[in-house]
Amino acid sequence: MIWWMWVLALFFMTLGIGIVAPIAGVGGGVLFTPLTMAFYPFSTDFIRGAGLVMAMTSALSSAPHFAKKGLANLRILAPVVVVSIIFSILGGIIGLWVTNAFPQGKSYIKIGLGLILFVVFLVYLFSKRVEFPEIRHIDPISEKLDIHGMWYEPSLGKVVEYKTTNLLYALPAFAGVGFIAGMFGLGAGWANVPVLNLVMGAPLKVATSTSMMIITINDAAACWVYMARGAMLAMIIVPSVLGITIGARIGARIAVKSRPKSIKYLVMAIMLFAAVMDIWKGLHGLGLAPPI
Amino acid sequence: MAVVVEKEKEAVGTELKEVLVEPMNYIFGRIMEILTIIGLIAMFVPGIIYIITGKGYLSRDVVVKYWDLKASAFWEKVMGVKVFGYSWFLNHLSATDCLSIIGVCILAITPLISLFGAEIKADKKYKILIGILILEFLFAIFRPILMGH
Repeated sequence: MIWWMWVLALFFMTLGIGIVAPIAGVGGGVLFTPLTMAFYPFSTDFIRGAGLVMAMTSALSSAPHFAKKGLANLRILAPVVVVSIIFSILGGIIGLWVTNAFPQGKSYIKIGLGLILFVVFLVYLFSKRVEFPEIRHIDPISEKLDIHGMWYEPSLGKVVEYKTTNLLYALPAFAGVGFIAGMFGLGAGWANVPVLNLVMGAPLKVATSTSMMIITINDAAACWVYMARGAMLAMIIVPSVLGITIGARIGARIAVKSRPKSIKYLVMAIMLFAAVMDIWKGLHGLGLAPPI
Repeated sequence: MAVVVEKEKEAVGTELKEVLVEPMNYIFGRIMEILTIIGLIAMFVPGIIYIITGKGYLSRDVVVKYWDLKASAFWEKVMGVKVFGYSWFLNHLSATDCLSIIGVCILAITPLISLFGAEIKADKKYKILIGILILEFLFAIFRPILMGH
């Protein structure tokens, strides 16, 4: 293929991801990185660098709106990101070290990403979300930090106040999420939201919005690691981010009107397919599977 | 709950409801909103020019030839250098591809500046937590310069 065909293919793929992601309720990064690794000729380093910029930009575009409405809350974010940011930087360093120190490093990354994608698939398939979780007991640290918030909920016609709990249980989860985000160039909202919602008891809207805010910080920190190693090419980043930025605006408008289940299943099928392709390509790189 | 609040007006039907938002969240969001727009423009405009013209610090044709190589091998092959730090784009700001990466830098520094803004409005406990976050973020930026790898 000629170079401009790859650039156009990248633009149209991310445009499509941008449109379907909000309808399916998934983040763009979780589709971009595995699909690009499976079907494009770019190095895994440049793909992960672009994936981080893309996830960060998407989150940066929506987080301010939620913060100004009181939905994204720094009181929840600050204690968890103090831990996750370090692991996000560490993930970036180790991720680049694996591909650059081992001759077959990119195959390890592809297999690892494929396996992570299976986990993401299972999370989307089985995890339940609770709109307004009931909190019976608040842990002492959350109490001391006075983690609370409020927002106006139009569907209820009133201001909803909330608190969160189980901060100590959530911290290791956020450490893992930060590491995966940095290592594989993902946004990791798929993991943030269930932890915030089901473990810490944040209302679903607060969990989704605060997750965006967490992604801005975790992914921005990891971006510096990739930038410092030259793992960012304008040629790959610009069409990807442009595509998802335009697509997400279209997708968000469609999502407000309708969210057909068929789109969600289609996205999950694509995710599963990308996971299989990444693992297969990784195994092929190690000489353990025939070429596709 | 004693909370100092910003009042954000939100249209609900024909009425305007006052939504109470903590100042640290509000200022965090406001700074992020402005810098994101600046960062996106700074990334897209030179980036698109670079892709169309093909002229930059890294020639488009050379990038295409070696974009399948891992980052370290790519830089050795294309420029004959090892990249540790930010000089690869900071020293070539007249090139459109490097200018586009400056846009990425603005986006990647946006959460840090937003945290600075939020810290001013935060209460004592959160001033400490956000202060730690700022230090960690600064470490992420300056680590390659301080540690050399």
